[in-house]
Amino acid sequence: MTSLDRGRYAWLCLTGLVTAPPVAAQLSARTDVSTSGRYVWHGISRAAGLVAQPSLAIGLRIHRVSLESGAVLHYELDRVSTGELSETGAGGRRLGEEDLWGRASLLVGPTRLDAGVVRYVFRGDPAQGGLGPTRNTTEVYGALSVTSRYVNPSLEAWWDVERVRGAFLRAAFDLPVLGWPFPPYAFAFVQGDMGLNVGQGPNAARPAELANFAGRGLTHIGLGVGAEIRARRVTGIGWATLAVGVRSQLNIDDATRFNGTGRNRDFSAWLWTGITVVVGGAARERR
Amino acid sequence: MSHRRAALLLAAALLLAACGPTRLRVAGALSPRPTSGAGASLLAGFARVDITPPPGVGLAGNGPEGAEALGYRLRLYARVLVLADGVGNRLALVVADLPLSSALLHRRVAELTRRTDGIGVDRLVIAVTHTHAGPGHFFDAAAYNDQGSSVVGFDPVMVDSLTARIARAVHTAVADLRPARVAWGSRSVWGETRIRSLPAMLRNIPLPVAPADAPAGLPQEYRLVDPELAMLRVDLRDPATGAFRPAGAFSIFAMHGTGNAPSNDLLDADIHGLVERRLERHIDPDGGFVPRAVYLFANGAEGDVSPAWPPQSRCDVPTLATLPALDGPFTRTLWQWRPPTATHLAACQHAAREAIAVIGKDVGDSAVALFDALGAALSDRLEMGRAFATVSLRDSARALGICPEPAVGMSTLVGADDAHTRVQGWRLFGVFDIGLEQGSPNPDVPGCQAHKRKLLDGWFGDLPNRLSVSGTLPSYAQITVLRLGSRVIGAVPAEVTTTAGRRMREQMLASARNAGLPVSAALILGHANGYMEYVATAEEYTAQYYEGGSTLYGPGEAAMFGRTLARLAASVSAGDSLRSAAAPPLDLLVGHQRHVVPRTSSTRVPPPRIERVWCSGDTLYAWLQLGAAGEWPVTTGDVAAGPRVEIVVDEQTRAVVSWDDDPALELRLRSRRAGLAWWELRWSGASGRTYRVRIPGVADSDPAKCNTPV
Repeated sequence: MTSLDRGRYAWLCLTGLVTAPPVAAQLSARTDVSTSGRYVWHGISRAAGLVAQPSLAIGLRIHRVSLESGAVLHYELDRVSTGELSETGAGGRRLGEEDLWGRASLLVGPTRLDAGVVRYVFRGDPAQGGLGPTRNTTEVYGALSVTSRYVNPSLEAWWDVERVRGAFLRAAFDLPVLGWPFPPYAFAFVQGDMGLNVGQGPNAARPAELANFAGRGLTHIGLGVGAEIRARRVTGIGWATLAVGVRSQLNIDDATRFNGTGRNRDFSAWLWTGITVVVGGAARERR
Repeated sequence: MSHRRAALLLAAALLLAACGPTRLRVAGALSPRPTSGAGASLLAGFARVDITPPPGVGLAGNGPEGAEALGYRLRLYARVLVLADGVGNRLALVVADLPLSSALLHRRVAELTRRTDGIGVDRLVIAVTHTHAGPGHFFDAAAYNDQGSSVVGFDPVMVDSLTARIARAVHTAVADLRPARVAWGSRSVWGETRIRSLPAMLRNIPLPVAPADAPAGLPQEYRLVDPELAMLRVDLRDPATGAFRPAGAFSIFAMHGTGNAPSNDLLDADIHGLVERRLERHIDPDGGFVPRAVYLFANGAEGDVSPAWPPQSRCDVPTLATLPALDGPFTRTLWQWRPPTATHLAACQHAAREAIAVIGKDVGDSAVALFDALGAALSDRLEMGRAFATVSLRDSARALGICPEPAVGMSTLVGADDAHTRVQGWRLFGVFDIGLEQGSPNPDVPGCQAHKRKLLDGWFGDLPNRLSVSGTLPSYAQITVLRLGSRVIGAVPAEVTTTAGRRMREQMLASARNAGLPVSAALILGHANGYMEYVATAEEYTAQYYEGGSTLYGPGEAAMFGRTLARLAASVSAGDSLRSAAAPPLDLLVGHQRHVVPRTSSTRVPPPRIERVWCSGDTLYAWLQLGAAGEWPVTTGDVAAGPRVEIVVDEQTRAVVSWDDDPALELRLRSRRAGLAWWELRWSGASGRTYRVRIPGVADSDPAKCNTPV
């Protein structure tokens, strides 16, 4: 099968899923626009200024199985000077990164199993200190998450299959603090995560390769609080939420401390806010 | 200040004012001095009006668990009995299938009935059955409009609609006044109700004891209820024959209107509706869709009294959980109130429906037996009188012996065992107890509201209550004492617990007798002329169960009501008009004004039609187009002579087996396309025959064959 055939076959499959879902299938879409005072991914700060991250995702759920895919863009909104932490490089105010992802999920009672892939494409200018195509890579991941009345823990295993070729583990939790029971519903929550590098550090056998982290072991510990309000619901269609929060992170690995040329930070804190619109699927229901 | 800045500030102030809660001032229209009567010794008249609103309103009474109404099952009625004596004294009793009573509604109705019929606030009692499947949005306090159900807001259209319908019904009852014979009686009804907050009740001193006739085998919570079903039977003279015929009755029985599970999403008259219909059909077996007989089945001291529903009839509540909605690797986790599964909801609602049917029939049978027994004791004499007072709770708190600042306890947020809310048992971070439990008093709380644990009071004292809660709670209590023959009836705007009610009755009776009234018994009529939540005894208050947490003005409330009722019982009068101080204007904060009742309808409504009919198992379904989108089932409120929809057997006789006022038939709105209402009918009474759906006078559907129920 040629790559063209494979593409055509994948397109036909996707079209079939969207246009002719079985009775029990739920098709849904979600778009987010968030702004944040810092862009941090897996504990590593990639931009230290204001970033906007629009994203779009669609999903199809059939009974306990979901197939989902999406894309996210990372725009830097601050003008960046030479040496400042940025994906775009000096000058800034443009697209720094675009990511595509897809995953399959299986829900078994309160437990969810995910298997997915993420393609990272960097649009910065290396000549200006940004991250360019040489940083492009692909990761696959698996995740196990559990929902309970209070703590909702998840454990993720990431594997860079292209550039670094190593594993990174992440443990996270979401903890609801309070929920307002009357419309418009509002929630306050706490989130935390920590990372463990087990194979994305420098490779002595291939010293020329780029690494994500400086060494093995604990990379960072993050903690945040946030609030979300269900701003608008249209029965039968979906709803929109507004959220705001603050994140903080204790940086342990040197790569997570990096905050620009000659600058390191042991601790970072930043604000974020976002709007989310979900249509179709379970969002159509009255709640 | 520049003009632009001033204009901006003004616009901002106007916007804030527009978004803020609505305030109303409502006058109190007292009855004029009666003119001389017609000479007959006793006159009575009945009326009934349909008050079923269109879908879209919130089902009040269950707080956040109260669903948006999607349709109706048993229709909601307001039933009216007007009594008049030979010298022109009139008293109007209204019992409406509504969740809570409202001082605003009471005063608005009295404004109209005073003009048309001489019945002002002092001669009008509007009580409600407390069905938790009735609409909100017409209450006199913001807390109940904004937090009475999951549909938020105060809607003047709801107030106006109910006012017009009830006032018209009172007028109709006055027009129906005829010579009457009446009889008072009572009967114990055991096993149908139970005390839901037994640990709180057992704090009372002396310890409550079960009445002597309590069946020995019943558990304690069933034996400690007040089992009295009190009834005033009324027979009216038939103008055609001149003979007196049974016409209806007025009853008081203590039982919460919580037969339906809180997750129910249909308007429904609940157990009370079945009891009312049971006696009405007994009196008038050939009365067609709407019997001529009218039975007003009011609530008594039901604060801590639940119907004897089984535990499986209560559904799980939504839980706070993450929402797996396309939360990819780059997007944040969303949160939701996750509802129970549809299978679970169907099972518990079905169990609730079965419990309603059983309890409704049993209590209804008791009402029938009592009604029949009273036939031998009828008399044309019924001395009538009334006393009425409006108590300003905040302004007169010190004199009344209550707290000046109302507050709800944490146990109120949790809900009673009838209706646990979603926050029950919630702990901060899963560890720290913040009092969201039944029976969690805080003995460290100082001051008047001692023992009441309030929201965040451990950190901020009374500040959160003062800032965001207290102002939304009611400020007035309208209290009426009626004398009807051998009974004095204390009508209170609250849900009184069994023991508090018993003490009030004793105080009233003693006071009335001291004043020379020849009365033999006192009754408490709850949920009348307003609503200020619960009245627990001082001992029960210390337990801070749901009823104690909801005793807004502190532990002195029960004693305050007892004293006020006793004072009024001693001052019952007739043939006079009361001083204006009895009904000062009420300044009400009613909450956020919203368009809840649908307003938009098609101006051109085609004749109703039946789209399709089919049977699935033993349930008959139909899709219908019935009326405009914002239309009330009965447009004017005048009780329709016939149903909107009937089920008939597909035989020559076309015998009617059900209609849209039957516990087995549900009408659920499917959509409001093009300004028209499109309904789904479900009838679960099929029994292996072939049926048709009929819109009377318009169309019969094709036949549909149903299976025999398994």
